[in-house]
Formats: sequence, C-alpha cells, structure tokens
Amino acid sequence: MKDTHQAQPFIQVNDLHHVYLRGTPLEVTALKGVTLEIYEGESIGIIGRTGAGKSTIVQHFNGLLRARQPGKVILEGQDMSDPSVKVKAIRQKVGLVFQHPEQQLFERLVGDDIAFGPKRLGLSREERRERVRWAMEMVGLDFERFKDRFTFSLSGGEMRKAAIAGVLALQPKVLILDESTTGVDPRGRKDLLARILELHRHHGMTLIFVSPNMEEVASMVDRVYVIDDGRTAMSGTTREIFDRPDDLRQYGLGVPQVTTIAHQLREHSLPITRTPLTVAEAAEDVWKILNS
Amino acid sequence: MTEPIIRIENVHFAYNAQSENPIVALTDINLEVMPGEYLVIVGHNGSGKSTLAKHLNALLLPTQGDVWVNGMNTKNGAHTLTIRSTVGMVFQIPDNQIVATVVEEDVAFGPANLGVPEDELRERIDWALDVVDMQNFRHRAPHLLSAGQKQRVAIAGAMALKPQVLILDESTSMLDPAGREEVLSAVRRLNQAGTTIIAITHYMHEAVEGDRIVVMEAARTVTQGSPREVFSQVEELRALQLDVPQVTELSYALHQRDETFPPNLLTVEEIVAEIIRRKELEVAT
Ligand SMILES: Nc1ncnc2c1ncn2[C@@H]1O[C@H](COP(=O)(O)OP(=O)(O)OP(=O)(O)O)[C@@H](O)[C@H]1O
Ligand SMILES: Nc1ncnc2c1ncn2[C@@H]1O[C@H](COP(=O)(O)OP(=O)(O)OP(=O)(O)O)[C@@H](O)[C@H]1O
Ligand SMILES: [Mg+2]
Ligand SMILES: [Mg+2]
Repeated sequence: MKDTHQAQPFIQVNDLHHVYLRGTPLEVTALKGVTLEIYEGESIGIIGRTGAGKSTIVQHFNGLLRARQPGKVILEGQDMSDPSVKVKAIRQKVGLVFQHPEQQLFERLVGDDIAFGPKRLGLSREERRERVRWAMEMVGLDFERFKDRFTFSLSGGEMRKAAIAGVLALQPKVLILDESTTGVDPRGRKDLLARILELHRHHGMTLIFVSPNMEEVASMVDRVYVIDDGRTAMSGTTREIFDRPDDLRQYGLGVPQVTTIAHQLREHSLPITRTPLTVAEAAEDVWKILNS
Repeated sequence: MTEPIIRIENVHFAYNAQSENPIVALTDINLEVMPGEYLVIVGHNGSGKSTLAKHLNALLLPTQGDVWVNGMNTKNGAHTLTIRSTVGMVFQIPDNQIVATVVEEDVAFGPANLGVPEDELRERIDWALDVVDMQNFRHRAPHLLSAGQKQRVAIAGAMALKPQVLILDESTSMLDPAGREEVLSAVRRLNQAGTTIIAITHYMHEAVEGDRIVVMEAARTVTQGSPREVFSQVEELRALQLDVPQVTELSYALHQRDETFPPNLLTVEEIVAEIIRRKELEVAT
C-alpha cells in the first residue's frame, strides 16, 4: 500500500517523452507524455494495448533509456537525465526482466547465466552458489537438472524462468516484470507469483508489473496505471480501475472474468456492492447473494 | 471416410539422441487430427508441446515412429516442401521468425517462396495485415516493433501462406485482450472456412475454443476430450495443477458450498444465467 509518510516517491516520472531513431526517416514517437509515481514498497501495474509504450517506460527505470527534455525521470531523488548518474548502482537496485528472455540470457550454461549478477555484486563462490540455488527454486527450475543445461536449448517457458531467476538472484529492491510470466505454465506462474508477492509483502520489495493478463494484474497489484498511445490514460487503485470496464475496453483492455460476472449480475439488479478481483472474492459475493 | 490430415504413430523423440545425455521430449505419441478440426494442446513447461508441433511440418523428425501429413511421411525429404506449404506455423518466439527488414516483405516471404503470383501475393499481404490490424506498420522494420506487434507480424506471415493446417504456438501470449480476441476470432473464421487449427496455449479461456483438448505431461499425452469433458475433471486437473477458466473455478467453488450448483460451467453467460435462474426460483417459491 502507498505509504503517504514517504516524502518522495522512489520513482517519479513527469511528462516523459521518448522518440526512437530520432532524426531518421524511421523516427517513432513512442512516449508523448507519461506521468506517474511509485513509492517504495508499492506494487504497481502498468497496462495498455500492444505498442502503447509500456516497455519503453520501464526501460527508463533502470537507465537503459535516458529521459531528455521535456520529460523527467527522478529515481531515488536523482535526475536520470544527468549523465553523471551511476547506472551500475541503479541496476543493482532495480532489476528489470525483459519481455524477450532470449535478450537477457547470454551465458552458455543456465547456472552461469544466473550467477552473472551475483558475481558482479562481488559475492563469494559459496554465496553465489546459494543465490543461484535460491533463485532457481523461486522460479521452479530444478537446480541439479537445469544448472548445466545450455540456455539456448531450453523450452520457451524454461527460458523465461531462467531469465527471471537471473534478475531475482540480484535480490533487487525494485523488481520490474515486463510480461515476464508469459509462457510460464499455470502451475509455475501461480507458485512464482505467490513467491514474488511474498518478497513484496514481507521483505518490502517494490513491484512493477506489466502484464496483458488482467486476472494476474488484479491479483498482484495495489494500484494501476493505464497507458495509451504513449500517455498516461488512467490511474487508480486496482479496484477503481477494474470498475471501469467500458473505459478499459476503449484502451484495448478488459477485466478479469469474475469481474465481468459481477458487473453482469449488477445489471440484473443483483446487489453486488464491491467489485470482486479474484475467484475467492467472487465466490464470497455470489454466495451472499444466493443466500440473501 | 475422411482420412486424418495428420497422423502421428508411436512417435518417440529425444534431443541429442546420440549423446550421453539425451533429453527425451516425446514418448509414445499417437494422435490423429481430422481436416477442419480445432485442436488445442495444453501442458506444463517442457512437456513437449513445441517439440510435437515442430514434428508436424518436418522441422524435427521422429527418433522412432512416423508422422504423416496428408498421407506423406515427414521422413521422406521429397515431401518436405509440400508439407511446409500444407502446415504453417507461428513460432513461440516471434523473433526467430523474422526474415526481412520490412514488415510487408516479412509477411510476403513465405508465400513468395511457394511461388504465389504477384497479384495474389499483394492480396494475401493486405488481407493478412488487415486480420492482425497491422496495415499502418507495413513499412516499418519488424525487429524494431513492440513485442505484441512482432507477434502480430508473425501471425500474419503464417496466415498469408493460407496453409491447410495452421499451428499457433502460444501465438497470442503477448497480445492485449482486444488483440487476442481479434486474432482468436480470425482463427475461428479460418477454421469455419475449413482450415485445420492446432493451438498451443496456457490460457484456458482460449482452450475452450477448441473441438478437442489434448493434455501433455512429461513427454506424453495424458488425457484428451472436448473442453467440457476435460474441464469437468476439475480434480484431475488440480492433480496435474493445470488451470481452469475463472468461470469454472468459480462454479466449482460454489458447487463445493452447495452440491446442486453445477461444477463445470465454462462461460460467463452460463454462470450469470445460472445465478439469475436460482434467484428467480427463490422469488417464485
Ligand atoms: N527499438 C525500437 N525502434 C523503433 N521503434 C520502437 C522500438 N521499440 C519500440 N518501438 C515502437 O515504440 C512504440 C512503443 O513500444 P513499446 O515496446 O514500448 O510498447 P509496449 O506497450 O511495450 O507494447 P507490447 O505490449 O506489444 O509489448 C511502438 O509503436 C513500437 O513500434
Ligand atoms: N534444442 C533443444 N535441445 C535440447 N533440449 C531441448 C531443446 N528444445 C527443447 N528441449 C527440451 O525438451 C523438452 C520439451 O521441450 P518443448 O520445447 O517441446 O516444451 P514445451 O512443452 O513447448 O514447453 P514450454 O511450455 O516451456 O514452451 C524440455 O525438457 C526442453 O528442455
Ligand atoms: Mg512491451
Ligand atoms: Mg513451447
């Protein structure tokens, strides 16, 4: 939850613009005015249709892309457009799992790849091994079975898991998942998301969650920003956002199935007061109606 | 009687089969797909789905057993080109499919290779780009697109082949809900017009689109049936830890509280109607 005592957001984005291939005939204006703020310890969803600019935004959060006029990205009080900002220190705090896992894996062996970050953190051999083991357990890749596998010979979902493990192994303060659970099977996804929520809730890790899966977003985050055509289009608590299905549809988005059920029951004058976000909430609400 | 368009007989496949550490990816697979069928394959990571898909257009050949496409054995190299024009595939990682530096050329690549004449080629590209709503991007560079846009281009490329069998390997995974709905309805239309569809997905609300669902687990096919048959085995699916659609999960949760509530509803319409019917009954009595 948002801690209003924090004077300054951990990440503050003001009127951010971004142009790819600036000054070439192929120039693309990807961001046209994004404003948002993220406080330490929050869980934030960023959603929007294909090409809305989500990946472009989150790449500004670990210095892969740098803001320039007129926009601003302030990270822990540092203006990211300042060339003297140490990107290396920021990458140790802000872990970004790319949307394309194959862009993240560059060592030959899975174990080495996941150990890469911890090695750069200067951890000892023993500590590294423990980190790798821990991270692989977090994502559900069996350590013995997968540590010596070639990264390129993994199945699609296994590759995703390896990419996530590589970032988790840094134990970052802020974890950004850019559609990173795509391709992870339902069992793996459920376990993985539960463990990530645990890191968020009990260890204070800030979570930034980009996903095309509304059901996942609804169950993971406290607040949501909707991005459309390079701009912030909506913002609010998760329940507020999913209570506006018509607006969401206009932006190519939707709501969880259980939320749709609640909205339709309401249209039939059944008294569903809150908007359920999960199956458990919906079961409770419907049960109340059936027994009233 | 109609012949199956795809017949998989006793197929066994291992990666690095000759090495000390072969990785067994398919064991004892037997499966027939009829022309015009809409088949969905689900299963955990590493269960063999993509490996199986790659056997259907001769990208991989069985270590043991046979795969037949329209009666042609995939092991017979003389048939490879015909097989690849019969079975079109959208790969799980769209980047691996990009071959050209301009979107429209990328989409044209497959059909042009098959010798589709210029006029028709134009038509097909237009049509395919329309289907995935990428007309405005036809002159862009495919590798400089967002992830979902790349996925759309990959889908257009396979559709432009107008294959008899279209394989979609998690091809809607990075699309927004509206985009996914558009692609699914385009696939549905193709299927109604006679194209055989084989879709691999982790999303159970996509799996309900199929005529038949095959569940894979640890290199084998473990269960199959219509979506309703498969999803009504909620306990079995739980044991396999596969997902069920939220609607089904809700209907099962309500069934556990009240045995008379049906456990296996599949769509929002069904469950809303059921709840309303119960309220009305209550009012009437
Ligand atoms: N490297 C690049 N060069 C040029 N244009 C790009 C590049 N990357 C992205 N774009 C364009 O910038 C816009 C925003 O892309 P971005 O990847 O941020 O979208 P997204 O919201 O993450 O989409 P998706 O849901 O498909 O991942 C898109 O129109 C895209 O085509
Ligand atoms: N090129 C390869 N070399 C060696 N092993 C491989 C290769 N490709 C896949 N495998 C292994 O074969 C098994 C089946 O992989 P496959 O890609 O078919 O799984 P999948 O069901 O498609 O999984 P996912 O849901 O993750 O995409 C896995 O254990 C995987 O690690
Ligand atoms: Mg993206
Ligand atoms: Mg696969």
